[in-house]
Amino acid sequence: MEGILEGPGIGPFLPLARLMFAVQSEVGRTPTETDPIEQRAIAAVKSGDAGSYDYLVSKYMKRVVSIAWGIVRNADDAEDLAQEAFVKAYQTIERFKPGEPFGPWIYRIVTNLALDVIKHRQRFRHEELTDSHPAARADRADLAAGSNELATRIDAAIESLPEMQRVVARLYLVEHFEHAEIAAMTNLTEGTVRSHLSLARAKLRERLADLYGGSHE
Amino acid sequence: MSDDRFLDQLRGDAARLRYEPRDEHVWTRLAARVRDRIARAENVPQMLAGWFRPIATFLFLLAIGAGLTVAWVDRQQPVYAVENIASHPVEITVDGDTFNLAE
Repeated sequence: MEGILEGPGIGPFLPLARLMFAVQSEVGRTPTETDPIEQRAIAAVKSGDAGSYDYLVSKYMKRVVSIAWGIVRNADDAEDLAQEAFVKAYQTIERFKPGEPFGPWIYRIVTNLALDVIKHRQRFRHEELTDSHPAARADRADLAAGSNELATRIDAAIESLPEMQRVVARLYLVEHFEHAEIAAMTNLTEGTVRSHLSLARAKLRERLADLYGGSHE
Repeated sequence: MSDDRFLDQLRGDAARLRYEPRDEHVWTRLAARVRDRIARAENVPQMLAGWFRPIATFLFLLAIGAGLTVAWVDRQQPVYAVENIASHPVEITVDGDTFNLAE
């Protein structure tokens, strides 16, 4: 960690406070912007300084868990997936291109891990259904504590969508990713993402007509 | 309301659906778990290296020892052969006449 946060205006003391300050000042940026501290942290990790990885974990953890949770809808699974994604990213950091932002890379890893989990669940449910034992839906949504009725209605409407429409809609509407970013994260083409989103929008508009008005208003 | 406006409005309202942990310490705990996993992953190669290094050193020394022994034996062999011939003179008998090679 030493070295990556050195610079004018930041003293050599209180490394944790410096880390927190640096993370706080970076969270507002969009993931595609280049963050010099992030680049230094990546370079340090590549040269064997595992401590510098803390900066990347602190900066991206919330978003990574939120993406995973949006897909798997289970807090424990989402936290495990986030952990797995960060470990995987660390183990393959040598392949990471210098100068690229870390965000899209870690988001892609966690999205793929989460999609694998739901594919596995679908297979498991299918097997159970063919055995005439309907699977209990254990992955109940852990909605935010402060969710109001509007949020609950939107959440239910998104959850009622077919799987990939649901994932794309959640990444676009809730996580505020753009089409190209979603395409990179899900290994879909941008056209397919737009198509999923268009279908999702039509269904959401129909299901939330009483809140937002119908398409002819 | 147009489709784009509907989507923009929905996007604004849906932002509150982002994950919020019930326990704020979850971030610290998760970061610690990642740190621990990385440290453990690093320890495996280190442990293997810890075992491998002495074994490799032993084998290296053994190879050097074997090489030096072979070289020493090779160097000793001609001296031994000359001494052996000298101390055991070879005699050849042809048509009843005995010839001694040492003479």
